[in-house]
Amino acid sequence: MEEYLLPLIDGNASRTVNKMLKSLLKSGKVSAVLALQETPSGRSAFSAMVSDPGKLDTNVFAPTLPVSTATMVSRITKHGGAKSPVLVVLRSCENRALTELFKLKQANPVNIIMAGVDCPGTFDINTYSNFPGDGTPTETVFDEKEKGKYMRSACLSCKDPVPSRVDITIGIFGADLKKGLYISASTETGKELLADLKLGKFKDQKAREKAVKEVRERSDAAREKQIRDHSDIKGVDGIARFFDTCINCHNCMNACPICYCKECLFDSAVFDLEAGKYINKAKSKGAFKTPTDSILFHITRFNHMILSCVQCGLCEQACPSNIPLMDIIIPIAENAQKEFEYLPGRDLEEQLPMIFYREEEFEDVGER
Amino acid sequence: MSEDFEPKIVGFLCNWCSYAGADLAGTSRIQYPPNIRVIRVMCSGAVDSVYINRALLEGADAVLIGGCHLGDCHYLNGNYKARRRMVLLKNILQTLGMEPERVWVRWISASEGQKFADTVKEIVDETKKLGPNPMRDRWNL
Repeated sequence: MEEYLLPLIDGNASRTVNKMLKSLLKSGKVSAVLALQETPSGRSAFSAMVSDPGKLDTNVFAPTLPVSTATMVSRITKHGGAKSPVLVVLRSCENRALTELFKLKQANPVNIIMAGVDCPGTFDINTYSNFPGDGTPTETVFDEKEKGKYMRSACLSCKDPVPSRVDITIGIFGADLKKGLYISASTETGKELLADLKLGKFKDQKAREKAVKEVRERSDAAREKQIRDHSDIKGVDGIARFFDTCINCHNCMNACPICYCKECLFDSAVFDLEAGKYINKAKSKGAFKTPTDSILFHITRFNHMILSCVQCGLCEQACPSNIPLMDIIIPIAENAQKEFEYLPGRDLEEQLPMIFYREEEFEDVGER
Repeated sequence: MSEDFEPKIVGFLCNWCSYAGADLAGTSRIQYPPNIRVIRVMCSGAVDSVYINRALLEGADAVLIGGCHLGDCHYLNGNYKARRRMVLLKNILQTLGMEPERVWVRWISASEGQKFADTVKEIVDETKKLGPNPMRDRWNL
């Protein structure tokens, strides 16, 4: 791994990264950059695919995650891989989700160069657009004391804020942000790309390691606390109560980077019954709730996606009823992934648990 | 629990083994409790979690997934995949506190009529101890 110090420009981390991306784009080694760019109104930021260096105006630290860039890469490469290199800038959760989509064969890794940013966290879409704080959202997210007030719960208990399976890391943890950012290249592609920038070496590896360890420990502790605090969401009535305000809109599913099925069972005609069958359905329990099958939808969705769940919290952000989905998803994901010793996004070579098996395993299921 | 609680069991049985095993139990006139409602499937590996979740949410007191013995799958490895899927399903039900013990997985071959009958009897006995599925009388699920 090659580690560099990217000197700060204008005292601004976002602009410093933008300048670096611009020189990479100008070098011609990448034909486009896909990175977070603030909209002209400043009310939001979306990943933009930029080929003209003059139009590159990124803010990779803008604390908002309206859609997962992993989903966008999936869409862009839907009809085959990119013909020329595209540098994609991802948060750590997007990095994990994209790795899962590669494995699920829903995105094509050809010519996709991944740059991961150390993620300081994100705010809810509406908090970002009508920001109640004093500074800008981006200034606030660098303010350790202030940012906690606005962060999404998924970010407070982030599975890992440091991107781990990327060609280039754009780091803030352990770097003296008054001087510069931490940049590293962990693959040949990344090394080749960074070589031209002629950056000085990053010298304080110990500070980097310490800071990464601390930030991971902090979010692990937050996640464990969240699991403890919500251990009461249990049993038929606990689960029914939790989902009581669900309107069965499937927004959680649509926002989820992992839920990729082009034709979801729950959007199909399977659940459209003729009137007589609804009456029979009423007779079987005496009554049923409409819209039907909300809880069936959620529990089945967990079965279908939870092993690849990267805990980005986009489901929760998308919920119009503000159901705190992460309170239920985090424990389910942690337990299920532990059972299969699988960590989504960890390794491209690691097989998805549901596509292989071993003859000798789980022997208590199936027989006495 | 009331003495006269008779569990309703939904059985998803593989066409190539457990379903034929159930058939053999019948043609051999082996007595077993009539609590099971059998649904024939082409492979235990074809049973998606949605079917099981649905049966449970609609109030089935137990669900049986019957597949071929490991190594004997008509499609080579469907039952191994079913096993992984059922481990996941039970793990999720456990986290949700929704009685994973109501979901049963058994490997029953076409020649094991007696084993099928014994399995049904065992499920009925255990489910009677467990009592009715609380989801049976919840209209709001």
